[in-house]
Amino acid sequence: MKSKKTGVIFFPAFDWAISPTHPEREERLLYTRDQIFEEGLMDLPQIAEYPPKLATIHDIARVHFCVPRVQSQVTEAHLIAAGATLSLGDSIIQGEIKNGFSIVRPPGHHAMRVVHGNRGFCNINNEAVLVDYLRRQYGIRRVAIVDSDVHHGDGTQEIFYHDPDVLFISFHQDGRTIFPGTGFAHELGGPQAYATTINIPLPPGMTDNTFHYITDNLVLPLINDFKPDFIINSAGQDNHYTDPLGSMKFTARGYAEFTRKLNPHLAVLEGGYAIETALPYINMSILMALAGIDYSNVREPDIDSFNFKENPDRFAQVQKTVEGLLDIWSRRDKTDIEKIFGTGKFYQRKKQIYYDTDYIEEEQFEKVRLCGSCPGYMIIESRADRGYGQTARVFALSIPFNACQECHTEAYDLYEEAVKNKKGFDFVKMQDKSTDTCLSYDINKGQEWKSEGPRPGV
Amino acid sequence: MYIGLDVGGTYTDAVLLEKGQVKSWTKVPTREDLLNSLLEAFDAIMRGVPPDLIERVVLSTTMITNLIAEKKYDPVGLILLPGPGLNHSHYRFDTESCLVGGVIDYRGREVVPVPKGDIDSSIRTLAGLKYKKVAVVGKFSSRNNKHEKEVCRRIQESHIDWQVEMGHEVAGQLNFPRRVMSTLLNCATRDKYQFFVQSVLVALNSRDINCPVYILKADGGTMPLKSSLSSPVETIFSGPAASILGVQALIPPGETAVIVDIGGTTTDLALILGGQPLLASKGADVFGHMTHINALAVKSVPVGGDSVVESVGKELILLSERVGPPYCMGGPMPTPTDALKVLGLTKLGDMKKAREAMKILGDPLGIETWEVAARIMMLVNDTITSEIKNMFEKWEQEPAYRVWEVLQKKKVRPNTVVGVGGAASGFMTMIAATLDCYPVIPPYARVANAIGAAVARPTLQVSLRADTEQGIYTLLEEGYQGPIEDKSFNEDKALQLAEKWLLKRATKYGLENDIGEVEVTRREVFNMVRDWVTSGKLIDVSVQTKRGILHYIGTGGGNIEK
Repeated sequence: MKSKKTGVIFFPAFDWAISPTHPEREERLLYTRDQIFEEGLMDLPQIAEYPPKLATIHDIARVHFCVPRVQSQVTEAHLIAAGATLSLGDSIIQGEIKNGFSIVRPPGHHAMRVVHGNRGFCNINNEAVLVDYLRRQYGIRRVAIVDSDVHHGDGTQEIFYHDPDVLFISFHQDGRTIFPGTGFAHELGGPQAYATTINIPLPPGMTDNTFHYITDNLVLPLINDFKPDFIINSAGQDNHYTDPLGSMKFTARGYAEFTRKLNPHLAVLEGGYAIETALPYINMSILMALAGIDYSNVREPDIDSFNFKENPDRFAQVQKTVEGLLDIWSRRDKTDIEKIFGTGKFYQRKKQIYYDTDYIEEEQFEKVRLCGSCPGYMIIESRADRGYGQTARVFALSIPFNACQECHTEAYDLYEEAVKNKKGFDFVKMQDKSTDTCLSYDINKGQEWKSEGPRPGV
Repeated sequence: MYIGLDVGGTYTDAVLLEKGQVKSWTKVPTREDLLNSLLEAFDAIMRGVPPDLIERVVLSTTMITNLIAEKKYDPVGLILLPGPGLNHSHYRFDTESCLVGGVIDYRGREVVPVPKGDIDSSIRTLAGLKYKKVAVVGKFSSRNNKHEKEVCRRIQESHIDWQVEMGHEVAGQLNFPRRVMSTLLNCATRDKYQFFVQSVLVALNSRDINCPVYILKADGGTMPLKSSLSSPVETIFSGPAASILGVQALIPPGETAVIVDIGGTTTDLALILGGQPLLASKGADVFGHMTHINALAVKSVPVGGDSVVESVGKELILLSERVGPPYCMGGPMPTPTDALKVLGLTKLGDMKKAREAMKILGDPLGIETWEVAARIMMLVNDTITSEIKNMFEKWEQEPAYRVWEVLQKKKVRPNTVVGVGGAASGFMTMIAATLDCYPVIPPYARVANAIGAAVARPTLQVSLRADTEQGIYTLLEEGYQGPIEDKSFNEDKALQLAEKWLLKRATKYGLENDIGEVEVTRREVFNMVRDWVTSGKLIDVSVQTKRGILHYIGTGGGNIEK
């Protein structure tokens, strides 16, 4: 029989901070700890608390091209935060728990496939690490990730932009008014994965009303159609009406109801920096909603004195966006992909990525093999400027988990060619998800690193 | 010379220690007339010893444990201030619970004051139902006790004869439901405990023993008997704690060992890691009630020498119940003790009867007497060893909230299995072999509990939490809260303040000369940053007197058994 319990890993990293006064500091989950422990939630029969464990370097390398190496981009805290999601993922798939909540720091949804440094307080994308782990370990194929952070989940979007088996839905404050400045409705995924990326930018000041409108009218119907094997919620909590960085007016109750409706397998804490006025209440509400415990008695202390009026014009604007997206979704199979993306052997695009925390500017050239029998391998050329004349140039190849033989061979040929030529790059990297092998070649040192994951089921 | 006295439900054990040697020991039945049982035990071990040579007496007892198990305590009414959070239907305890408004938040700030009307109507309800004992507990009351005190004051204005217990004075740790349970049990057992303490004091007085008297707590520390009157629940499970300390004293220092205490119906397991008994990470579970009581980690497994063995189909199975003594001692059903007898591993019982028991089980399955016995041994062994493995795994699975805690987690396995309790000796070799450990049956294993009591140290702890933004500090153990006037209050000053309070507490308990070395067990500082500027600090520090035992015990000395 499947367990009815909700698993929780609470890892507040009380000894880790980006810097002493940074929002991502030791204090962030202190009051959440106080609230959850004082309530005695961990003692309830519906809830099982698990200890965090460390993700391996290979678990990270399977997803990220870290420059120069994984070890230079992660601290132990990152491995623990990522490891927590893996641990809960294991327990869910094995039927030990019905769902889980990873209340961990540091967060991850701004971390992209190539990692030169920290972006939006993130180095490692915890959700993406889990998706590739579940695929490798348990053969899970289709995954939906719903991002409820006030900031666009640009890292997660970027990692799965060409993956037709991951439905990524993000609703967030309009990118014109907040970091990272992306996440517009026209960002819909690449030619091989059209309409499996869905963005709903929201004007500032929207309330739970909008939260539920999007959930009921867009998120749930899409997930229902997509039929994922596993649902992840990137549970950012900065849409709260007291958040210092966001300008939305969602409540803890709103988050709880959203969680109940979405019924994700796993919720993973992302942002949220109203550490006193929002986090204790939202974290508690989400946990209670997952565990099927009545959350109607959780209230923020100042909720009665706050004005929750919503601008009707802005709501109409959201409605229009949602209707447009629903239309795109319903026609997704009949869409003329070639008309949008063009034809040829590859689809390619140029990207500028800014690392706000580490002041790094990255220029990327991304190519996807337009293959008829698989999602196609990717070629990424990346050049990062660290601002003091130090650059890192990377040539990277990523083979999807369900790659066809032809793509597999082509990608390896390109890797070997790049290693042989030794021109124009400092590092050549390969991520072969079909055999779970990662390679990294340091041109300047003439040295190659290789890592292989454990065989599935071992 | 030290006296250790363990007052159990069936037997009262006593030992007299002199310079780390057992000078004499005894085991007498615990009778209804507690005073006489105590006197009998004292007289047995004190034969020829002048009472003024006794330097200290330490007690352990299962009395409070048994009272709670048998629900032999007076009803306690509850006045709770749960505020927002879990649905209030979660706070239904097995008694009248009156809910009162008023909200304190996690930093101890008053969000909503207590409505006077709520308090009065609760008091009326409880008075109407004739409650005379009341526990008043609020959510986050250990961060701010204002509301609990308001309710308490109001009760005392109208019902001076009620016994009122406040949550912040009983349990300062976070976890409201556990605080409610601890406070309720403390309130419920106070009178009965007082009676026990009186009996002990009278017994000692009548034998002219005038030295300091202590009682063992569930966490293995001791406190002066007289000052324990206000916190009887702390003595719950002092019996098992005594056995563990006893084993600690009887094995070489620094060992990692499992203690297997096999009784008639249950086997208690405990761990000594690197010479120190393992404390449970959460408060004790008292017969299904989760509390805040700090206790040594003990796992009870429902299997013992008198457990019933039955054959079902082609299998033998071990039942968790007891229906009487073993078959070889005149009981109705075959038991593990009968198997031990057949294999020559116990002196107890009648061999013919034991063989008969094996035949009852073996005949339907067509297996020989010795094989039945061997199979029963395997069953007991498998049950106990798998629980031991679970216990280690569970300990490794404890949550960790800091990076260093996660990194320092490691796999630890015991090298020694220590057997105590009636049936332990017969099973020990097999259990140790299964776990790849050395089997040890220490000398005086039968009175390990009384030895444990005798060697236990007085312990005191002070946990101080300072919130410099609000200018308040609270003491977890005392339920005290005071102002911080020093503008440059910091971690070091917090530690100094905590040590000052430790001394104050020691003086209050008459332990000022026992403080010795002070250990800092917790030291945490969180910078509070508001709008990118440090607005204050949250400082959590804990200091305690050194833990451990006073002596390791050598062999030698006589014994007197009744």
